[in-house]
Amino acid sequence: MGTPTSDAGLERPGERAFRPGAAAIACLLGWLLPGAGHAYVGRPGRGAFFCLALLTLFGVGVSLDARLTLHLGLDDPLGLVIGAGQAALGLPYVLARALGGATGDVRSATFDYGVTFTATAGLLNVLVMLDAVDVALGRKA
Amino acid sequence: MIRSHLLNLVVYSALVAAVFAALMREGVGRQVRLGAVLFGAFVLSAVVVGWLMAPFPG
Repeated sequence: MGTPTSDAGLERPGERAFRPGAAAIACLLGWLLPGAGHAYVGRPGRGAFFCLALLTLFGVGVSLDARLTLHLGLDDPLGLVIGAGQAALGLPYVLARALGGATGDVRSATFDYGVTFTATAGLLNVLVMLDAVDVALGRKA
Repeated sequence: MIRSHLLNLVVYSALVAAVFAALMREGVGRQVRLGAVLFGAFVLSAVVVGWLMAPFPG
């Protein structure tokens, strides 16, 4: 495994190459907690920023009466994308569901906002995970 | 809970623009510039589309 680097960005991308296994770990950590993948590959500052931004987006969405549901099936493609997007936030999603704070209220005026906020947070986390993988593989500084 | 539609738009746009800017640019200055452009584009386009849709209620 290569040596994790700092946020200073003093090393060239080729010098920070990790093994593919490390990229998989970065991806898994990034799914469990937004930004954790970046912290693993030596970008803790950027990871903390992503964690703060995505958890805020998710938290605001939950407070807006979002319903967190994992819809599996092709009868409702949009529901599938939204459910998978929400689940892509990892542990915060699991905790929110376990604590019963995200049953949603479809009668609420902000229900659609909440679903949009939470699904966007998860889908953005997918991009953040892929960014951490790129850093781990040396494709990105 | 936020009840203002405009405030929801602003909060959503600010957070999404910040994440995209951090993903797509290196360096704080360039990130701030891209984030500002994205934020403005999100808010402006939503307001414009809202105005265009106003004559077609329901």
